[in-house]
Amino acid sequence: MRRRLGWGFWLALGWITLVLAAAAAADLLPLPRYDETLAGPPQSGPGPGHPFGTDGLGRDVLSRVVYGARVSLGVGVGAVLLGVLIGAPLGVLAGYRRRAVDAVIMGVNDIALAFPALVFALAVVAFAGASLLNVLIVLGVLGVPAWVRLVRGATMVFSEREFVSAARLLGARDRTVLWREIVPNVSLPVASYAFIGMAVAIVAEGSLAFLGLSVQAPTPTWGGMINEGRPLMETAPHVVLLPSFVMFLTVLAFNLLGDRLRALTDVRQSGLEPVRRRRAERLPARPHHVEEDVLLQAADLRTHFTTARGTVRAVDGVSFTLERGRTLAVVGESGSGKSMLIRSVLGLAPESGTLRGGHVYLDGQDLTELDDQQMRRLLGTRLAAVFQDPMTALNPVRTIGAQVAEPLMVHLGMKRRAARARAAELLASVGIPEPARTLRRYPHQLSGGMRQRVTIAMALSCGPDVLFADEPTTALDVTVQDQVLRLIRRQREERHMAVVLVSHDLSVVAEWADEVIVMYAGKVVERGPAATLFERTRMPYTEALLAAVPKLTDPAHHPLRLLPGRPPDLANPPSGCAFHPRCPYARERCSAEEPPLFQAEAPDHLYACWYPVGTGAGAVETSGVSGMSGAAEVLRATEAAGAEETTDTIEGADSRGR
Amino acid sequence: MAGSGNAHLRPADEVVLRVEDLVVEFPAGGGRSVHAVSGVSFDVARGETLGIVGESGCGKSTTARALMQMPPPRAGSVRLDGVELTALRGEALRRTRRRLQMVFQDPISSLNPRRRVRDIVAEGPRVWGTGADLVDEMLTAVGLDPATAAARRPHEFSGGQCQRVSIARALVLEPEVVICDEPVSALDVSVQAQILALLEELKERYRLTLVFIAHDLAVVKNVSDRILVMYLGKVCELASGEALVGRPAHPYTRALLASIPRGGLGLPPADRLISGEPPSPVTPPSGCRFRTRCPAATPLCAAEEPVMRRIGADHWVACHHPHGRGSNGGEVR
Ligand SMILES: Nc1ncnc2c1ncn2[C@@H]1O[C@H](COP(=O)(O)OP(=O)(O)OP(=O)(O)O)[C@@H](O)[C@H]1O
Ligand code: SF4
Ligand code: SF4
Ligand SMILES: [Mg+2]
Repeated sequence: MRRRLGWGFWLALGWITLVLAAAAAADLLPLPRYDETLAGPPQSGPGPGHPFGTDGLGRDVLSRVVYGARVSLGVGVGAVLLGVLIGAPLGVLAGYRRRAVDAVIMGVNDIALAFPALVFALAVVAFAGASLLNVLIVLGVLGVPAWVRLVRGATMVFSEREFVSAARLLGARDRTVLWREIVPNVSLPVASYAFIGMAVAIVAEGSLAFLGLSVQAPTPTWGGMINEGRPLMETAPHVVLLPSFVMFLTVLAFNLLGDRLRALTDVRQSGLEPVRRRRAERLPARPHHVEEDVLLQAADLRTHFTTARGTVRAVDGVSFTLERGRTLAVVGESGSGKSMLIRSVLGLAPESGTLRGGHVYLDGQDLTELDDQQMRRLLGTRLAAVFQDPMTALNPVRTIGAQVAEPLMVHLGMKRRAARARAAELLASVGIPEPARTLRRYPHQLSGGMRQRVTIAMALSCGPDVLFADEPTTALDVTVQDQVLRLIRRQREERHMAVVLVSHDLSVVAEWADEVIVMYAGKVVERGPAATLFERTRMPYTEALLAAVPKLTDPAHHPLRLLPGRPPDLANPPSGCAFHPRCPYARERCSAEEPPLFQAEAPDHLYACWYPVGTGAGAVETSGVSGMSGAAEVLRATEAAGAEETTDTIEGADSRGR
Repeated sequence: MAGSGNAHLRPADEVVLRVEDLVVEFPAGGGRSVHAVSGVSFDVARGETLGIVGESGCGKSTTARALMQMPPPRAGSVRLDGVELTALRGEALRRTRRRLQMVFQDPISSLNPRRRVRDIVAEGPRVWGTGADLVDEMLTAVGLDPATAAARRPHEFSGGQCQRVSIARALVLEPEVVICDEPVSALDVSVQAQILALLEELKERYRLTLVFIAHDLAVVKNVSDRILVMYLGKVCELASGEALVGRPAHPYTRALLASIPRGGLGLPPADRLISGEPPSPVTPPSGCRFRTRCPAATPLCAAEEPVMRRIGADHWVACHHPHGRGSNGGEVR
């Protein structure tokens, strides 16, 4: 939980501490009494003895503001405490017990919520009098329904987490589960809303004071002081100035505290958040040769992010070419930069804090030189993309028909009726039964496989030259995966387009790709025709990945070769060959010098390794790891040796690996 | 009942876990229900690993949770070492249930983010007052350094490390059976191999009995002694990995195998593929639940639900027309 809260948080905390301390120690401070009339000349401006002047009755403004803080802060803090004290247990109970308990609590809560707040306040003050305690109770009770709702929601979220099931399996009683597993998780969001609630209560007290429903004179409250000072606005504006200013700052400070705390609870910070907001900068280009007759060429593509942890080289000098009618696969572990490579080719990498380099040529035209509008026109027409989660590509509140027809109308200028007819044809071509009916349905009414077919239909709608598919089947079952990959291949052949397929699944790649790029730490470490690359693997990383995958043809309990450790931290990659901490063949040279891409015997087969496998150059001596026996031992050893524990990698969207 | 029957169960004294005719239903609104698990039976012998495969939504996780009585099944029996779990309530259930432990799919969500990793593993011993001395041993056994674990919280660990913490937590109470529900499907292949190797090692060392649930047949085959194939809340086929992959008899098993990318795997050429997706479990087909997609379906399949029957040494199938064998009076296909 060690995260930066920012100086704003500390300033706000300082201010609130100051106000609290002043209110608590008001009697000890060298201040005139707050109710001492004619302590000075009435309505006089700041002067000696009265640094902020006096009000209409000649009372010291500073003293009144300090004493007023007792009411304002007391009401703010007290009302929230009261609300939480009553609301939180009810909310936890409703959220954890569910069913009847939940129904009763929430039923009562809804009625309470519907009760007019002002009428309640008026009634209490009318019958019980406007004392500090009564105001506090009114505001506290009014806040209860909101607290019940908030706490119940948070409790429900956490009680569905598997760690709660795990605790119950271990035999923990309900009471223990609540106290140890749920309450600590719920309390942080509650604390953050508590600060915001205090701000709300302070403002509410001010409003009540305005209506004369709060603590009565001469006890000062900030709202009351502003109210009293109102008629004097023209002659003595200073009377309202100080209470307004103090109230404003206090409310702001409470809100800020709450906001910062909430930001803490939201995300697991990876230290990869861009630190600056502006357009991507360009890295100097290295000389390269623009190929003729290829559909797509990437030349020395680089995407680096400037983050708090340093420069993250997500894509670092990737080059490839792709021809029509072929499928290029990009493989690698999560965080190796696969998705970011696709985004970089498509010009969709984040802008802020980004350094970009290299060129992308489509039929010889340099895409990195196009402006945003030109690029947008290309996306969806000549370049199209399908992503892992079809729901991110589909708008949940629009029908499938509207969404498939849209690119046809926007890019191809088709009329609505024609576009819908074409959309139905497209759906039929991707194997969706009853296309006409599907057009009228919403995304959530379709299964995952059908949704992915819809996004493929959308991607294909304008007849793209290149289809980018980023883990298109990772979320799908094997039988559906097979159908979707078959569909992509058939479309590739019918439309004579090229496909770039990103996948972590080597068997998918081996089956469906013509050419393969293996990525490690943002770089290409091996590249070549699929058959060659899998049969005559040169790079130890590729070999290790292949050996790590269980094969159907292996007998049961066949030992898998262990690839210890994890992909490196891209902000701080190992020296030399980035794979050396995990490589069984690593020698001294590997950590000192980065291997370039060497040409293997087979044409178009490249690898980045000093001691490639299968050539006699490697495999001579192996490092200590392979001498160990147990999996646990190897894992512990590599972790201790600093195969470091990074948090997240740059592909935050890549759901695998977390 | 289809994909039902108990012919494949072994004598009660040979097994540690025996599940019979398990039924789990959820309300689906409008008075209807989701038939998530409908009459599933299987057993696991001590020291054995049973793999369960099937497509998403076929009821694998629901079965696992029903074994734990979280929530308890609508009907059926779950016997752990002869003790009927479904008959237990309250304190008795709490005491018995700890002998079953579970490892979940999502490594992040299965660990409490507010607690330190060592405390997470030590929770079981804390509740029961025994086995505290095992905590560090278990952390070491899953390849974690107890000192690091004492100082850190889950978000400081990677997915693979979190999964290892989950395994340590499950093992520290020395359970009879450990149920792993998709323990590797959120992980990279390299990390997946690490976890699989670790599970095999721990199984050897602590003589574990495992139920290993996954959708990836190759992964399941690697760790399992026997594999159970499920479809839409029913059992299709039960066999050793060798028999299941080498001589699949149920049309669904065959379709599943045919869908796996074979990229140089040297598998027999693909069978006829199935199209479409499973029907809704709210309104499952009559008779055999696979019949709407089955290339071998006959009118008999709609009328009558096939039951498990033996077609080879420890090879069982619930189908009227299993591949390569005479069907109920029909010809050999
Ligand atoms: N709490 C619930 N309420 C209603 N329906 C449910 C509930 N839990 C599961 N189901 C349904 O029960 C069926 C079986 O679900 P289950 O999660 O057991 O499948 P699974 O085989 O584990 O799938 P996956 O591979 O996706 O994990 C599905 O149709 C699912 O939608
Ligand atoms: S042998 Fe050396 S250069 Fe080759 S992959 Fe291993 S560490 Fe890298
Ligand atoms: S042949 Fe009949 S019983 Fe067998 S799987 Fe097909 S539909 Fe079911
Ligand atoms: Mg599941």
